Amino acid sequence: MATLRLHSLTATSEKIPTSPFVPSSRVLSASFHCNEKRVSRRMTINAMGGGAKYKGTQMREKQLSEMIEKKVTEAKQVCEGDETSDECRVAWDEVEEVSQAKANLRLRLEVEKKDPLESFCLENPETEECKVYDD
Amino acid sequence: MAVCPVYTTQSLNSTCSISTPSKTHFSSHHNHLVFYRTSKRTSKRGGSSSCVITCSAGDSQTVVIGLAADSGCGKSTFMRRLTSVFGGAAEPPKGGNPDSNTLISDMTTVICLDDYHSLDRTGRKEKGVTALDPRANDFDLMYEQVKALKSGIAVDKPIYNHVSGLLDPPELIKPPKILVIEGLHPMFDERVRDLLDFSIYLDISNEVKFAWKIQRDMAERGHSLESIKASIEARKPDFDAFIDPQKQYADAVIEVLPTQLIPDDNEGKVLRVRLIMKEGVEHFSPVYLFDEGSTISWIPCGRKLTCSYPGIKFSYGPDTYFGHEVSVLEMDGQFDRLDELIYVESHLSNLSTKFYGEVTQQMLKHADFPGSNNGTGLFQTIVGLKIRDLYEQITASKTAAPLQATKA
Repeated sequence: MATLRLHSLTATSEKIPTSPFVPSSRVLSASFHCNEKRVSRRMTINAMGGGAKYKGTQMREKQLSEMIEKKVTEAKQVCEGDETSDECRVAWDEVEEVSQAKANLRLRLEVEKKDPLESFCLENPETEECKVYDD
Repeated sequence: MAVCPVYTTQSLNSTCSISTPSKTHFSSHHNHLVFYRTSKRTSKRGGSSSCVITCSAGDSQTVVIGLAADSGCGKSTFMRRLTSVFGGAAEPPKGGNPDSNTLISDMTTVICLDDYHSLDRTGRKEKGVTALDPRANDFDLMYEQVKALKSGIAVDKPIYNHVSGLLDPPELIKPPKILVIEGLHPMFDERVRDLLDFSIYLDISNEVKFAWKIQRDMAERGHSLESIKASIEARKPDFDAFIDPQKQYADAVIEVLPTQLIPDDNEGKVLRVRLIMKEGVEHFSPVYLFDEGSTISWIPCGRKLTCSYPGIKFSYGPDTYFGHEVSVLEMDGQFDRLDELIYVESHLSNLSTKFYGEVTQQMLKHADFPGSNNGTGLFQTIVGLKIRDLYEQITASKTAAPLQATKA
């Protein structure tokens, strides 16, 4: 498991962006500098290795990523006609909603290091969702 | 002499709403209710009708805190810092819906106001309203349930599932000692506002919001700078119309702005954070620097303390905010080292800490949380301590008042 986390109070050199959505993580800032977006994503996922433990959570992450992509495309289409229309605003609001949901999940996994399905899977270990995800 | 935490029959009627047989959760309410006659004590007091019945649900009335923020729920590092001040970690309800937005710890329960959406994602699309629009939210239900929880009655609260965009079956919420309602509209409805013992508004400036959302979303396949910008722009009209006006009602506003220490900085890494505290709020005494009510500008870095670029700058002073008297404490810059934090803490007053260094200790406990090296983390921690102080004052006054009544 990648332990590239900085304790910001003890670090002296690198200034890490202090967004409330993104934990102080060297990996995430490294991903901005990679030319290959795919490579950077893989780097990010590997670093998150300590995160998604259950298959259900991994599926949720994937689902949310796909939703973001889909809804951004939808929003762009809807807004082509009229940027100030209700439909356009609602479409971008949906993008925000799923982006935030994805970020929350990521934050939960990386900062709290707890899979949201933890207590559910303790009670229902035999379900599909609760298969342990091998990194 | 007898320390008897009982209520007069008068207060009993107001805190324990027993005359509500229509409430579906009468049974859970019942569990919290203990009626007994303290006959021994009453006879000593000459059989006065005052010391008769106690109601444990009304014993520690739930303190309700409102937090307005446009960053979804359950994420909140603010919430985590707050619950940590009270001890214990806040976790989603065990064994329930894994997509629940609720967080529960020993003392606190955090409810996400998105759960009171009256329209799910499809419904909002049909009606052409965003989640920011009041028309997408059921304020009647919000008011009823917050009121019930405040009076010690458990509720079946709906769950809004942010992944599916649907309203899931409700979950049971038991009245906690401290209830935090977090979301877009905690102070929108006047009735809900009146139930709040303390309210906070997290005011992020546009530039900082943009920088944070870039950091949040750029790693996502679907996003680009344009899409992030477009999303913020599209939500802005509703945000300005419905969410922003709530800040005038807040007891404390945490304003996050770009730094003034670095000219033309647009990266949003170094932040200028202002803690705007309303004067005259019951059980809340604003934090101050050096001399309460005066105007101070302070750069702690110098001979005693060495800081790296861009350093730290504090200011404090009285001001008015939407017609209210306020005190504003401001921090611009970043903490690099532990000793900077201790040094700063030792110069602030009215922190409501229980021991010297408590702020520093809390910050260190969550050093990996975002904002731990700047004003956001510092002021969130301080507000957490203030809320603890407020809670203790309220519960102390709740037990003190009846004693005085019985003495009379």
